[in-house]
Amino acid sequence: MPRAAAVELDQLSKSFRVRRARSTGVAARLRDLFSGETQTVCAVDKLSFSIAPGERVAFIGPNGAGKSTTLKMLAGILQPDAGDVRVLGLVPSRQRRQLAFQIGTVFGQRSQLWYQLPPRDTFELLGRVYEVDAPEHRRRIDALSSVFDLGTLVNTPVRHLSLGERMRCEIVASLLHSPRMLFLDEPTIGLDVSAKATIRELLWTQSEQERVTLLLTSHDTGDMERVCTRAIVINHGRLLWDGPIAALRRSYLKAKRVTLWSEAEHLELTLPGVRVLSSGAYRTELEIALEITPLGQVVDAALRQTAIRDMAIEDAPLDEVIRALYATAATGSVPS
Amino acid sequence: MSAGTIAKYAAFSRISATQAGRERNELYGRMAFFAVILGVFSSLWRAVAEAGMPVAADPKSLVWYLAATEWILLSAPPIHLEIQEAIRRGDVVYRLGHPASYVLAEFATGFGLLAVRAPFLGLTAFLCAFAFTEWTPPLSALLIVVPFGFVASTVITALYLGIGLLAFWLQDVAPVYWVWQKLMFVLGGLMLPLELYPAFIQRAAAFTPFPSLLAAPASVVLGTNAVTPGALARNLVIWSGVTAIAVSWMFRRAVSTVTINGG
Repeated sequence: MPRAAAVELDQLSKSFRVRRARSTGVAARLRDLFSGETQTVCAVDKLSFSIAPGERVAFIGPNGAGKSTTLKMLAGILQPDAGDVRVLGLVPSRQRRQLAFQIGTVFGQRSQLWYQLPPRDTFELLGRVYEVDAPEHRRRIDALSSVFDLGTLVNTPVRHLSLGERMRCEIVASLLHSPRMLFLDEPTIGLDVSAKATIRELLWTQSEQERVTLLLTSHDTGDMERVCTRAIVINHGRLLWDGPIAALRRSYLKAKRVTLWSEAEHLELTLPGVRVLSSGAYRTELEIALEITPLGQVVDAALRQTAIRDMAIEDAPLDEVIRALYATAATGSVPS
Repeated sequence: MSAGTIAKYAAFSRISATQAGRERNELYGRMAFFAVILGVFSSLWRAVAEAGMPVAADPKSLVWYLAATEWILLSAPPIHLEIQEAIRRGDVVYRLGHPASYVLAEFATGFGLLAVRAPFLGLTAFLCAFAFTEWTPPLSALLIVVPFGFVASTVITALYLGIGLLAFWLQDVAPVYWVWQKLMFVLGGLMLPLELYPAFIQRAAAFTPFPSLLAAPASVVLGTNAVTPGALARNLVIWSGVTAIAVSWMFRRAVSTVTINGG
């Protein structure tokens, strides 16, 4: 028997009524006061997808794509206009309280820790809020503090913590009540490279160990690649792409970056679909559209000119893949 | 309300009291301001009495009256500012997803702050009023003022919560707070007992919560027996109920606005 999905959206829609931009002039302003015209903005448009328990999904879209609105509907904070949504088998807008006990949230730009106090005080408050048995809660604090290597940080006032340390504490705070689903919004924003790597590794490990379903929104493709296995891309409230991150790169952007270190000082490669990105002494960086010219042909062409000392083949950065995906979506030719 | 629910909101009070204990500078500022106000007004009332101008009550009693009204008002933490900021930043939308009532959590947080401020400010009031007047009201009067004043301060905290919730519609509640302060000043009898005001103001004030929150508990120190503990209790219960109903209605409206039209 198939397991119930952790998240199920079916034709989910949400629109907002917003005031039209104000007219200019005193008379028009006065008119606006009494009869301000409104317009309907569609934030989420017939969005459908499902997420299996334990999956780690990146929820991607440009600003204004409808990500936050969708997350708020998933958490039961917003009521959908149409369509169905179920999270962990519950209807969020009707069963918000029951759902709240089973989900956790991490918002990189917001804090749930009490600023003047050590994280332990907030952790203990959260134990009461989520109605966790006190001895069990203390065990959970100790276990997560150990996993997240909090050590003495747990007793250090939050105002003395670095951003990376604070974020580790924020994630622990969100996991204390053992949620089955974690919503993460820009969890690594503002962190340095090493802190980002730590957070990503901890999220991945925690999700693996406790089978926590993760739904992560971030503009940092590193978060998506290191933590998630699947991407859901939306724009203008509509689904653009849904599939494994590897497939997003493979099937959408049919290009590779190839760097050749040659015996000859310069290489002259004028093949269709091959673009020279940079060219220096003994080193040439190319972008190859594989649908037009297979990689082998390019290497053959290079070998005909000179011996190749070394070669590096890379996928295009995910940033570029996503940027290209948005751009293509604007022209209406997105691959399914 | 179950024991678990009470423990949940008591935890909010406890953590905010702990935080208030760490953020003492604002409290010290209030205590200094309080001492200055009492010093200025005790000199004023003494000068008025020495100049032979009619003073409706004994100048010493008036200083203690002011100490009581200011204690009640200054003890109530201005939680509307925090709430306004949370609404403006959008934090409130995410806190709605917690398994705790936002309104009760905010009120409990404010109560925790009040529980720290009230004793310190009360001590300031007592010491300064005594230093400036070299007199204390009867102990029986103080035993009435302190508990009723604390309850009044709690109701004022709940009213600040209501003012803060207006940010859902207004974004900036400073103008509302400004009007509230002026009404409290005039209709609450902050500086002077209401008996010294024109009759029409006294009549108007009777329809508002302000006299019950300030003038009534504080006037016990005047020794006029104008208000009985029973009447004080009844009025505070009525205005507590009205405040609770108003705040919960406002919050329900605000949440439906958020859930339907976005946060």
